Amino acid sequence: MGEQPERPQIGGPAVVVEDVSMSYTVRTSAPGGRGLAVRARNRLFGKREKVEALRGVSLVARQGEFVGVIGANGSGKSTLLRLIAGVERPDNGRILARRQPTLLGVNAALQPALSGSANVRLGCLAMGMSPRQAASVHEEVVRLSALGDAINRPMGGYSSGMASRLRFAIAVAARPKILLIDEALSTGDATFAQRSEEAMDAMLAEAGTVFLVNHAAKVIQELCTRAIWMHAGRIIMDGDAETVAEKYRWWSWNVAKGETEVANKLLTQAVDEGSMQEVRVVEDPAFERKSPRHAARNRYTNGYRPAAVWPGPTPTPSGKPGFVETDILPVISEVSVHGQPRSATSRER
Amino acid sequence: MSTTHTFDPETARNAVSVPSWALGPVGSRLPLGTYIEQLWKRRHFVLAESRSKIAGTANRNLLGYGWLILNPLLNGLGFYVVFGVILQTSRGIENFVGYLVIGVFFFQLSMRCVTGGTQAIRNGRPMIRAFAFPRAALPLTVVVREVLNFVPTFAVLIAVLAVLPPAENITWRVILIVPAFICQTLFALGCAFFLARLGHILPDISNLVNVLARFWLYASGVFFSIDRFVDHPALQTVMKMNPMYSYLHLYRDALLYGVDSPVWMWLLAVGWAFVFVIFGFLFFYRGEESYGRAA
Repeated sequence: MGEQPERPQIGGPAVVVEDVSMSYTVRTSAPGGRGLAVRARNRLFGKREKVEALRGVSLVARQGEFVGVIGANGSGKSTLLRLIAGVERPDNGRILARRQPTLLGVNAALQPALSGSANVRLGCLAMGMSPRQAASVHEEVVRLSALGDAINRPMGGYSSGMASRLRFAIAVAARPKILLIDEALSTGDATFAQRSEEAMDAMLAEAGTVFLVNHAAKVIQELCTRAIWMHAGRIIMDGDAETVAEKYRWWSWNVAKGETEVANKLLTQAVDEGSMQEVRVVEDPAFERKSPRHAARNRYTNGYRPAAVWPGPTPTPSGKPGFVETDILPVISEVSVHGQPRSATSRER
Repeated sequence: MSTTHTFDPETARNAVSVPSWALGPVGSRLPLGTYIEQLWKRRHFVLAESRSKIAGTANRNLLGYGWLILNPLLNGLGFYVVFGVILQTSRGIENFVGYLVIGVFFFQLSMRCVTGGTQAIRNGRPMIRAFAFPRAALPLTVVVREVLNFVPTFAVLIAVLAVLPPAENITWRVILIVPAFICQTLFALGCAFFLARLGHILPDISNLVNVLARFWLYASGVFFSIDRFVDHPALQTVMKMNPMYSYLHLYRDALLYGVDSPVWMWLLAVGWAFVFVIFGFLFFYRGEESYGRAA
């Protein structure tokens, strides 16, 4: 860690989250005993409660940005990341991305019965690599994971730190342009922290975008350029990592100490001061492909970007042969993004 | 307005225009053509995943891959004792041992595809959460795995037929088991697609499927002849519409008796296969966006 490397230029939008909300319906069990009748009643007619995980979240993340997401447990951080990854669809709003984002979650063991090495191969193939490509990145993945001989042991026996190291290494092998890390790195040790940081810096330098969810404000301050503080499904602050993380740290310290009054004051202060980007995706009818644009015709005949080309000697920007992009993201039409920070108080409904 | 923002308000106020190839919706279903193309790209994944599942199961057992041979053998033996020796359903059936093993072995293939397909999404959750790929690869993996599993079973089948008398009437028709097998596999694949989505929507289905599969086993003429035990003509017709009945009959005619099967049976076999695989796939595809969500 220590001295910060020169941060890359911030480029165009990589991820656009437009007024997204998400809720889950869960069955709540009414208290009142554990008798069979009560349980049967709960099961059939139990109260269904709506848990709002996200209530209108907007943001634009740009290429080369390292966005930290902090907040208390249950504030919607992981949900946001799952939605950006496309694992789930939001109830309202929409999410656009430049490339298919890669999610690194906490449930790291892929196929517990298989060795780490076999999991590497499976993961690469699942991302759409050919066996040859998977073989060519294999060594790099094993090196980055720094697992040593453990790579040949079944993944089910890995510690959570080891498993998340391997998952990180597999994800990076596909050269993702957008990487979403859900506390997966917090279990790694110092060696791995060093290597993963290098890998992420390389990604950012290639105009990649990284989202990092972490509880520790310190980690966010050290790694990120920008931080988003989420609370109860809303973004209450969005800005410079140092500032936001510092405010969050104060708040959470007070909460932990039981100083609810101070904490609440800090929170209101943060809400007042903080802001969320207001994002509006504008589909410009002028750009629709009705007009015969000569370049457009063979570029995307069916409205979809052609698949990443492989095999071929085309060198990737990094100059490392063997790395490939795997992508299944369809592309819609011309959009423009209006992004503007807006005070949190003004959007209270 | 906040000053802590890295986002430059100047650029923010002016709309940022993004070229049309740059931004796409995340997590939405691909159009059918692209979807199939992406699925085809994952063929190596499907194969590797199927093999790893087999290896994973084998490694847990002391006898390992030996169970791939022992399991069908013991199963066949069990059914032979109950139906051949105790219940004597064998009367009127020529070469009952062959009749029985073909029925039991081939039926098990379908049954395992169906029960495995129902749980394909649940079992594949770690992969779904980790990687972006067409989810149809998961039920497909189940069927490919069962087909690979069937290879040693088929060897056992041939060995049993060769060793135990009476001798089969071997003709050129033996090769007809290949198209019949393709049809049965497609049919099973369609079932797997169909039940994979149903099982995701309602996990309780997997219990029901186990019970229904047992009914199906008895209704398919695996160890007795439908003609002998079912008198009611309407019921008999319904039972004969059952695709598994046709598949088993086709195998027996080709492998055991060396006679031509009726044309309607072939039509049923091919028809069911395509209807199931096409509609099953489309049904699964329509639910593509929902599979990441825990049901």
